[in-house]
Amino acid sequence: MGEVDVLQLATAVAVVLLAIAWYLSYAAARLDRLHAKVEGAMAALDGQLIRRAETALELAMSDELDPSSALIVADAATSALERHTVSLTGADPLDGVTFAGREVVESDLTEAIVAAVTPEVRTAIGEADGPGWDALERLDAAVVRVQMARRFHNDAVRDVRRVRNKLVVRVFRLAGHAAMPAAVEFVDDVPGVTS
Amino acid sequence: MKRLRIGIVCPYSFDVPGGVQFHVRDLAEHFIAAGHGVNVLAPADDDDDALPPYFTSVGRAVPIRYNGSVARLTFGPVTANRVGKWIERGGFDVLHLHEPVTPSASVMALWAVTDQPVVATFHTATVRSRALHTFHPMLRPSLEKIRARIAVSEDARATVRRHLRADAYVIPNGVHVAKFADASRDERFTGTPATPTIAFLGRVDEPRKGLAVLLRALPLVLRRHPGARLLVAGPGDCSDLVDDLDPDVAAHVTVLGGVSESDKAALLHSVDLYIAPHLGGESFGIVLVEAMAAGAPVVAADLPAFLRVLGDPPTGVTFPVSDHEALAERIGHLLADPQQRRALAAAAQERALRFDWESVAERIMAVYELAMSGAELEPDRLPQAETLWGRLVRSGRSLEES
Repeated sequence: MGEVDVLQLATAVAVVLLAIAWYLSYAAARLDRLHAKVEGAMAALDGQLIRRAETALELAMSDELDPSSALIVADAATSALERHTVSLTGADPLDGVTFAGREVVESDLTEAIVAAVTPEVRTAIGEADGPGWDALERLDAAVVRVQMARRFHNDAVRDVRRVRNKLVVRVFRLAGHAAMPAAVEFVDDVPGVTS
Repeated sequence: MKRLRIGIVCPYSFDVPGGVQFHVRDLAEHFIAAGHGVNVLAPADDDDDALPPYFTSVGRAVPIRYNGSVARLTFGPVTANRVGKWIERGGFDVLHLHEPVTPSASVMALWAVTDQPVVATFHTATVRSRALHTFHPMLRPSLEKIRARIAVSEDARATVRRHLRADAYVIPNGVHVAKFADASRDERFTGTPATPTIAFLGRVDEPRKGLAVLLRALPLVLRRHPGARLLVAGPGDCSDLVDDLDPDVAAHVTVLGGVSESDKAALLHSVDLYIAPHLGGESFGIVLVEAMAAGAPVVAADLPAFLRVLGDPPTGVTFPVSDHEALAERIGHLLADPQQRRALAAAAQERALRFDWESVAERIMAVYELAMSGAELEPDRLPQAETLWGRLVRSGRSLEES
């Protein structure tokens, strides 16, 4: 083996190492971007959930529902407003937020809306054409947006989970300490509004 | 309302008619009328003066065989360059790409985009592309830029789930409900209690549109309503189908051939019943919505797509697919009951509003807003992009993407 061969070999090894390092960096950056997308989608979902609870409360207060329906909706909306997403650690936003068990309260709110705002109630509010109609329209818009936001969030989660399941990502721990994001599942279907 | 800069990319040539092109055109014009700034990028002949002012051509489209059919698509480095420049100069708040896995302008835009939130709409229900499967891993990183996916039907959504392993929110195609609701009655198509009219619309020589089923049902209908007339509208040649009929039955069939948009609206507005005897292959059923909007009582095959359009409780009467006896029974019953016809038509007209462009565009705007707020609410990117190493990574990344 001459000296030239050693040099060539060393160069080849260096090139391969650099390529591997570049790929790892690239994969880490991509994963980072995907995590950020999940965070953004979760924040958007959070915002829409708050809006939905607020508009539901508004409808409950509008005097257009019968007192017992209004109480049911107001109760579910207030419980939903008391809960919010929790950052696991304050320092690094990429460390992830959890939905903090809100699934149940949000499902409850959906069910309260479905139970209280029946097609008949809808027609009655439409005919009264008072402030309740305005609140109902905004509630409908929020209901649709919650469903969209949840779907887009879960889609983003799916992307992260797929990349994080790759062997390279697991072996080199490219995800760092970031928590594995999870899909958010709750009942968000309001017949007649979302379908 | 905040005025948005919206960039829409359509993969198919804008100088030939097609479902995706119409959708993009109507959507763009709707948002422009609402005060937004919209620019549409699509293939077209550069020197075509008929193109709308909000349009940017990405170059001439070439007819090419892809995925089993010939489509007019555009590709190549010049196009890629133009797409990149269009995004750079557009200053868009949101980019809306249609059919982002069709090898044309949309896939290039997806490749080129860096900062803007991306919304994608999937139209086709049958992406059975082997190429897509092979290239999927390569497309992955750019598909990950999509923040929100829209499918125009449940079938299109199923395709997204199966082939891209992702989910989509269903927002149907828009219909200009007012155009059909405000149509005027036309004497030629209007029936009387003794001679009620029923209408068929669609390509007459396309078996899956089901004209044959309706023609088999017609003799049974005539036993109960001997004066009934069947009006057949739509392009194609159905002379052999009609020639097969008993001459006494054929006398009750009027073949109108292809009709203009305004005649179509007048026809649907005037007839006593609209029949949709389709056998399958419909992912949405826009003609059903048009009939509902025009106030025609609907009798439709119980295809999943049609059931979804009719809603729950259904705003039309359904019959088992290709069962001509059941169809004849439904028609006979409804022709004898004007009160039920009126009730169905009123409910259907109300239901059709869901598919109006007004409502459809509002939902699409909601998707834009969610995609933009998702992008805004993202935690800041890590500062590594500012170091030398970070720049190397970033340039590597943009190399791969550009």
